[in-house]
Amino acid sequence: MSHKQRVDQQPSFVLHSHPWRETSLIVEVFSRDYGRVAMVAKGARRPMSALRGVLMAFQPLLVDWSGGGEVKTLVRAEWQGGQPLLTGRALLCGYYLNELLVKLSAREDPHPGLFEAYSEALCQLAGGQSQGVLLRRFELALLRELGYGVLLDHDARSGEPVDPARRYLYIIEEGPIALGADIGSVDPDCQIISGQTLLDMAAGVLERPETLAQSKSLLRALINHYLGGQSLQSRRVFTELQLL
Amino acid sequence: MAYYLLQRDQRGAHRLAESLERALSSLQHCERCNTFTEERICQRCANPQRDARLLCVVEMPADLAMIEQTLAYKGLYYVLMGRLSPLDGIGPRELGLEKLLARATDGVVEEVILATNFTNEGEATAHMLSELLAARGVRASRLSRGVPVGGELEHTDSGTIAQALVERRTL
Ligand SMILES: [Zn+2]
Repeated sequence: MSHKQRVDQQPSFVLHSHPWRETSLIVEVFSRDYGRVAMVAKGARRPMSALRGVLMAFQPLLVDWSGGGEVKTLVRAEWQGGQPLLTGRALLCGYYLNELLVKLSAREDPHPGLFEAYSEALCQLAGGQSQGVLLRRFELALLRELGYGVLLDHDARSGEPVDPARRYLYIIEEGPIALGADIGSVDPDCQIISGQTLLDMAAGVLERPETLAQSKSLLRALINHYLGGQSLQSRRVFTELQLL
Repeated sequence: MAYYLLQRDQRGAHRLAESLERALSSLQHCERCNTFTEERICQRCANPQRDARLLCVVEMPADLAMIEQTLAYKGLYYVLMGRLSPLDGIGPRELGLEKLLARATDGVVEEVILATNFTNEGEATAHMLSELLAARGVRASRLSRGVPVGGELEHTDSGTIAQALVERRTL
């Protein structure tokens, strides 16, 4: 038995859970030092279970677990408190963040930086901050932390620094290419984006209206690309709600 | 129970199988409240003694039963048979919200009481419904948080539920 099989007091969030057998839950946890981990919470659906109210998404927890297989056994979960419950639209945004983590991050691949970005995004959601800005900031942090190397500050072909006064064509897996240069034939759904937006994104300053609008569409295209055809249910639900 | 019957009481097992079969073939959703019933409109919805101006929305029939047990509520119900759960792919379409919205805007209902669970999914469901009802000019209220955070109606004591009904608030 390796000492790795028992983890104590790990800062974590519940991303999702589903019923398992008569009285248990399978919980998908996002932990600071172990990344996304699946574990079974035995008896968590019993009426008097102490875990029942604790294993709620979007709340900071300290979790103990054991086991070496793909699905661990949850030993203890303790609510850390200090963060109001998400309500209303912020709650729907929270589901979107969780779905991104579930679909894009690999199991047991630690990303403390991403954990930090996620905690901060939830805190801002709970605090009622501008949702557009915080969602874009999280999406960008997610792509960077997962190693998708989103190039923003240099022209992918010429290597020149991005000029805030120019417009660029953004080619996924490659980067921005200044418009006007000979770029040959391009995919019609490539993104046209201003140099200023690219530099704002590189600096993590997203409040300018044009930056916010253009980064939303660029990040959406990038995320769709890396999802590789999986659709986001939280996005669909959001869209459907707006149509009702 | 199934194992016991198969081993010890085969005739009982047959009777159980038959009544389940009968229940399955005759069971439908009540046209008004969406709960399981053998009639087109269930007895509760057909009862003229109930206050048709109040419509209480719950997730599951077990939640309805719990509220009934309090004897604190005389209005009618709508049972969603689920909750919004974006990560499980359960959205407005899967919940059949059109039916609820039609029910709530029948001109008789004056107030919709959102009694979904105090879980994230229950809160999200209540939020969504409150926006949809507000857009249609229907007054909505939410059970007040006497029910413990993260708790579910099915497992909460009647006194707490009764208090939560008394303290319901407008959204
Ligand atoms: Zn009915």
